[in-house]
Amino acid sequence: MIDLQGYGPRLIEGAGVTIQLAVLSLILAIILGLLTASAKMSRSWFAHRLATLYTTLIRGVPDLVLMMLFFFGGQIGVNMITDWLYYSFDIDIFVNINAFVAGVVTIGLIFGAYMGETFRGAFMAVDNGQIEAGKAYGMSDGLVFRRIRFPQMMRHALPGLSNNWMVLLKTTALVSVIGLSDMVRVASEASKATREPFTFMIIVALIYLLIASVSEWIFARLQKRYDIGYAEAD
Amino acid sequence: MAATPIPLEVRNIKKRFGDTEVLKGLSLTAQKGDVITLIGASGSGKSTFLRCMNLLEQPDDGELIVHGEPVRFKTTKHGREPEDWKQVVQMRAKLSMVFQSFNLWAHMTLLENIIEAPIHVLKKPKKEALEHAHALLDRVGLSARANAYPAQMSGGQQQRGAIARALAMDPEVMLFDEPTSALDPELVGDVLKVMHGLAEEGRTMVVVTHEMSFARDVSSQVIYLHQGLEEEAGPPADVLGNPQSPRLQQFLAPKY
Amino acid sequence: MTAFMTWLENQLAENSIFTLQTLSYYGDGLTTTVQLVFLSLVIGLIAAVPLAIGRGSKHGWIKWPIFVYTYVFRGTPLLIQLYLIYYGVVFVDGIQETWLWVILEKPFVPALIAFTLNTAAYTTEIFRGAIKSTSKGEIEAARAYGMSPRQTMRRIIIPSAFRRALPAYGNEVIFMLHASAIASVVTIMDLTGAARFVYARYYAPFEAFLFVAAIYLCLTFTILYFFRYLEKKLLAHLQPQTS
Repeated sequence: MIDLQGYGPRLIEGAGVTIQLAVLSLILAIILGLLTASAKMSRSWFAHRLATLYTTLIRGVPDLVLMMLFFFGGQIGVNMITDWLYYSFDIDIFVNINAFVAGVVTIGLIFGAYMGETFRGAFMAVDNGQIEAGKAYGMSDGLVFRRIRFPQMMRHALPGLSNNWMVLLKTTALVSVIGLSDMVRVASEASKATREPFTFMIIVALIYLLIASVSEWIFARLQKRYDIGYAEAD
Repeated sequence: MAATPIPLEVRNIKKRFGDTEVLKGLSLTAQKGDVITLIGASGSGKSTFLRCMNLLEQPDDGELIVHGEPVRFKTTKHGREPEDWKQVVQMRAKLSMVFQSFNLWAHMTLLENIIEAPIHVLKKPKKEALEHAHALLDRVGLSARANAYPAQMSGGQQQRGAIARALAMDPEVMLFDEPTSALDPELVGDVLKVMHGLAEEGRTMVVVTHEMSFARDVSSQVIYLHQGLEEEAGPPADVLGNPQSPRLQQFLAPKY
Repeated sequence: MTAFMTWLENQLAENSIFTLQTLSYYGDGLTTTVQLVFLSLVIGLIAAVPLAIGRGSKHGWIKWPIFVYTYVFRGTPLLIQLYLIYYGVVFVDGIQETWLWVILEKPFVPALIAFTLNTAAYTTEIFRGAIKSTSKGEIEAARAYGMSPRQTMRRIIIPSAFRRALPAYGNEVIFMLHASAIASVVTIMDLTGAARFVYARYYAPFEAFLFVAAIYLCLTFTILYFFRYLEKKLLAHLQPQTS
């Protein structure tokens, strides 16, 4: 049996942090992605430009740099706002940007940009006739979105979504650099303390592979569900 | 006399795409029980005209009166638009369209397709919608395929299913946009038979079609369009039996 | 215009962060980043071609090890791979006494190894996808004209697969540029390392990280346009001719 030298429970905790971080970031990324996709498809010049600026900037800068900017810069930015509130309105609040929040926000923002592209492509892949049929039967835009565009879009978006999730999962490792005790940080501390890097790094690598395999299975199930009605098309 | 409102009245519809004027002022009145067929060569504007009737295309000019209620328009920087989209949504629920390419929703079974709009647009109770749907499926001969997805059905079945979906709305007027053009020839007959039956029971229909036999046998009025204008109109016996304009004569001439 | 110039001069004179000294850190960092990324990409690319061909081999003993390699390296974070190699090397017993230590002592080499292994895994899969999508007709035509399987691979499949892989490979290059930022975690003074240093010294996160973000943005766009240009030149034959 592998000797974890007492680091076992902390590794499990770290894995929990990784999974929580990944899932929360994914939710934020999906919301941002849907907003970005709608902005890019909207008639509003301003919304379109704003969304393009967002995706271009995010995709042009390394994740780690963005994360440090939000984590180190975020605290100073928040302090400036709270100071201003204090001096101007005598409102005294203290907001502490913790590494977990910075991590979720950064990863969510980064992958929101990628999701935006995924969703936009998927929305455009929905046959216009399907949407027209909805309109022709008196559905409002909201109803058409909820009942027709969204479920049909998901079928096209799932491969990209699954791909983004796999990359997102690996990106969570970066939070260890800004001090969050995810499983990578635990493993790195354990490696240094015990001088047995192989044991800990390989265990963590295996956990990543395990999470990836489980998610692959879940996405395959989802795809099957959304493929309903298409599977037997030639 | 307590006059029931005219189901559909369209006056002086104009529409341009870029530089080309597709519709140059077209009008039509569908009284209750009328079956109006629009015929003409491709590019004559007949499909666009039909799509203007439920505002899938926005006409640049003209009036649209559904069940006695005129649709209000306003002019924005994007062009002419309906003033109140809620009104459009209500209006569309009274006009069911049957599309050339069926457009059954691919992620729903046939039965789900049929009850979708009655439940979510007309707010019918599900039980009632289901009962109605089964009766309609029976009528178009598709009871056995209620739980099939569109992709699992033949084109003819899909189109009959789409007609059942249209009927489920209890529409004032049914709009048919070349309902048989995408079908293999041997499947056309079944769809036409269903449409024939609808005409006989007094449904108000506006039909864009290439099926001259349908126009001749079923319609109360035939309108021949040429380049966005009405060239000839009247009862089928006159328009098809005794065409006046040389263009219509040529259009009707056997093509061999 | 003159007003702007004086404003700019004042700004530069007033600011205590972007001195010649700190700018030279960024300059050195840029050199390190470019070296690291360029070297790992070139070596990874050279390794990926035979690996991609082997990945499609009929022999299990060739195919499976390559599959496991790409699966593991694509399925785990690059940071783990970097730690594994960086710490792994340091903690190998007795390595300090050998000649290897001279090159492995600096974190540059472990980082280069980790990046190369990582990009080679991704590139292998990109090529494999491109090779697999070669049209059956083209291969049959080659066979029909008497080409051996080896000739078909070299003369027909590889050249066309290379071209089809180009857009995906362009993404991989940008991905590596961005991923290289984690080199700073193992004390390499690359671009991000320089930014972290400037941040720590002046406690000025916005200046330090926004400046480096701008440099990365420029590099990203340079790569993007370079690949667009390449695609236009090499994929021109796939575009419909406009008369």
